[in-house]
Amino acid sequence: MPELSAFERLPATRLVSTEQAIEKLLVSPRWSSKVVVLRFAADEALLLGGQEQARTIIGELDPHAIVINDHSFAGAWFSEEEAADLLQRHCEWQPPAGRPAYAQGAVAGIPTKLWFAEDGRVLVVVQTVYLADFEERFR
Amino acid sequence: MRFLVDGQPVECARKENLLVAMLKAGQHPTGGGCLCMAGDCGNCLATVDGVSYVRTCQTTARPGLVVERHPASGEPPLPADHLQRKETPIRYLFCDVAVIFFGPDEAGQAEVESARGAGKEVLVLNSAEGREAVAIYAGPLVVARTESEVLHVKVCDEIVVATGAAEIQPVVPGSELAGLVTARAADALAKQGVDLGRVVAVGTPPSEVECTRVEGRLLRFEGQGKVEAVVTSDGDKETRHPCDTVAVGLGLHPRDQLYLMAQDLSVPVRLVGEATLEATVPRCPQQGVICPCSAVSRQDLDFTWDSGFREMELIKRSTLAGTGACQGMTCIPYLRSFIEEKGGELQPRFTARPMTRQLTLGEIAAGGHHAPDLRTALHDEHLRLGAWMERSGPWWRPWNYGDPVAEYWAVREGVSIMDVSTLGKMLVSGPDTLRFLEEIYPTRVGTIKEGRSRYVLLLDERGYVFDDGLVAKESDTRYALTFTSGGSSHSEMWLRDWAHGLNFDVRILNQTYSLGAINVTGPQSRVLLERLGLSEPLKFMHFTDGVIAGVPCRVFRLSFTGELSFELHHPSEYSLKLWRALLEAGADLGIRPHGLDVLTLLRLEKGHIIVHQDTDFDSTPRRIRHEWMVKLEKEHFIGRQALLRTNALEPDKALVGFEMEGEPPIEGATISFDGNYAGFVTSSGYSHVLGKAVLMGHLYYFDSALPREVQIEGRVARRVDTPFYDQEASRARA
Repeated sequence: MPELSAFERLPATRLVSTEQAIEKLLVSPRWSSKVVVLRFAADEALLLGGQEQARTIIGELDPHAIVINDHSFAGAWFSEEEAADLLQRHCEWQPPAGRPAYAQGAVAGIPTKLWFAEDGRVLVVVQTVYLADFEERFR
Repeated sequence: MRFLVDGQPVECARKENLLVAMLKAGQHPTGGGCLCMAGDCGNCLATVDGVSYVRTCQTTARPGLVVERHPASGEPPLPADHLQRKETPIRYLFCDVAVIFFGPDEAGQAEVESARGAGKEVLVLNSAEGREAVAIYAGPLVVARTESEVLHVKVCDEIVVATGAAEIQPVVPGSELAGLVTARAADALAKQGVDLGRVVAVGTPPSEVECTRVEGRLLRFEGQGKVEAVVTSDGDKETRHPCDTVAVGLGLHPRDQLYLMAQDLSVPVRLVGEATLEATVPRCPQQGVICPCSAVSRQDLDFTWDSGFREMELIKRSTLAGTGACQGMTCIPYLRSFIEEKGGELQPRFTARPMTRQLTLGEIAAGGHHAPDLRTALHDEHLRLGAWMERSGPWWRPWNYGDPVAEYWAVREGVSIMDVSTLGKMLVSGPDTLRFLEEIYPTRVGTIKEGRSRYVLLLDERGYVFDDGLVAKESDTRYALTFTSGGSSHSEMWLRDWAHGLNFDVRILNQTYSLGAINVTGPQSRVLLERLGLSEPLKFMHFTDGVIAGVPCRVFRLSFTGELSFELHHPSEYSLKLWRALLEAGADLGIRPHGLDVLTLLRLEKGHIIVHQDTDFDSTPRRIRHEWMVKLEKEHFIGRQALLRTNALEPDKALVGFEMEGEPPIEGATISFDGNYAGFVTSSGYSHVLGKAVLMGHLYYFDSALPREVQIEGRVARRVDTPFYDQEASRARA
């Protein structure tokens, strides 16, 4: 398992809007499918990239949307095997089988976001306020 | 290879069974009792590497293992203090079908093959292969243990229990002797090279061990420590059979506890194989020990029956029979026959509940976690500056930096900074934002102008205060809200519930963990901020967006300390840069950081409440003398109806201020008036600037009036108006 110092702050954008506006953003021809979208809730997402496109498109769809920089999440990429071992030891809920996929819940008792990429790697994301405890629980 | 038994070395072969190795060396783990070699009885228990109640028949010997035999009576000693126990790891597994075995079972094996053939993901838990299932919970969740970890198995489709049947144990006089084995145990021990000597078989004989089979009813075993003979009876005639080992085959009872505890789950649970057998119900002896684990005798059972306890559950609870190390595997068949003998009715075994085995505390705790402690981006910086850190709600926060008196005077006379990143912070945006906030808060929100903020209370439906903070207006459709550090999660839930329930078109973002915040406070705080980029003077309760020390900040002018204060809300990745810039730029102003120690005193001198410290579960705005924050003339807000009712009642208690000479009393101290209980102290401290103790507390009315003088910790306390210091708030509004 890689060192937890591999966790770095993610340059991300926090988006809060109507469910319909977010859905339209994600299927918009102007939106890049390469951007990793962590859909926290029907009305909220963390975007790893694509900030300007998001501002523009969402601004047209929902003038009251909140679109702001948020660098308070830290993430680290794990290989498929590393992630499987980590989750088997610390995640009591079953991760999704499909790829790509997003899931969130407690991992080692800490609120965690998981992005399962198509190539098998897994991005593990926690807010920086939890990082020290997260590290301790994996020691 | 060798391991130790009570300090003495014992030889063993590689991967040899621990009990087998001990028996070969002439060591019975508990000194006696019938051995089953199946994990059912409690007669092979020993303390292994510091862990008690280990079933040696289910354990593999390893070089260097330290075994301590359990005492013949009483409990094994508690672990020595110096032993460090590592956390027991856990593994979470998922499957379609779980099949549970306690050793080989043909029917169970057939189930495994059938499920795999149908394309199911099958997980086998077999105690004989080191994966022992110990519990089934709703979920469904199967809990199993191995020698090194705990398994939590989530099952999607079906659980199959193929745990076989246990052999009935003898409970006649002499059952505590060594040299007694069940028939299947005899086969297993002999197969692994244990010399059983002359073997006499009572009941069903072992299938592969040469033995003398005796007829008749088992009466007793005879011997001194080890069995020397077994006595049977055939009518009136007793026959004594000398032997070295007695193999007893008294019948079987199903190991169905896991199945019985797993009823009403969301997946089917099936029992297969030998575990479905009808239990043998042996005759209950008329004397002797029936439950060896709890030392319950036939006489005890008779007394319990005669006392009126005539059901299995009641007999268990009255005598503790069946609650010991073997969990009734020895005594339950005899308890059933006892009840049948006495009452004419064969009752089922008592309720099966998790777990079926003793677990260590580490195994029980495996996978469990304390709630995480949150750290701000300045946590390491506080440590570097020598802060004493304390938990405050879910957060680590600095209490002081080693000299709280100097920190206090830095706030009063110069400038000081404090990490207030823990504050709850939210954004609300949308066409219904103003209507929504008017519903949530008892204050008039619509009169707040852009660029201004207002201190507000949050009330529940009963009109009780549960949080406080600020409402700051960015625009007609966008407001920033703050809450207490410990209340942000609850307040977010509160906002979302009401927004959804009342169908308000708003977007809500919780930025508590995303934004840092630093409070800059003291008469020199404006000077400091002007050096770092605050270009225009900011009026009290106004806010502006700007850049301070190169960091984008929303600057709030407010005051919790009672001195001139500014709160700098900024993206948390810049907290350290901003903090250090403030310290560097303020060096000539005598800047130093302060923590909660000083903050709680300063706000007390100002008479500012801390929700959930100065408020009680039933604190209305009236009771805490904050009615000025409530606009009852508003058509509606949450808690309004309740306030209209409670305000019509005679006042009963109020949050008031007191001053005292000498040391401040402890928070929570009782307040007395005329010998009567009159309330309690909520906040207390020694005011450096006033030179006396100041405190707040809930005080009851007596004859419709609040007493002027009360007793606290045997001393006089005088009720005074708050704020205690700077009553016109001129310093905060400078």
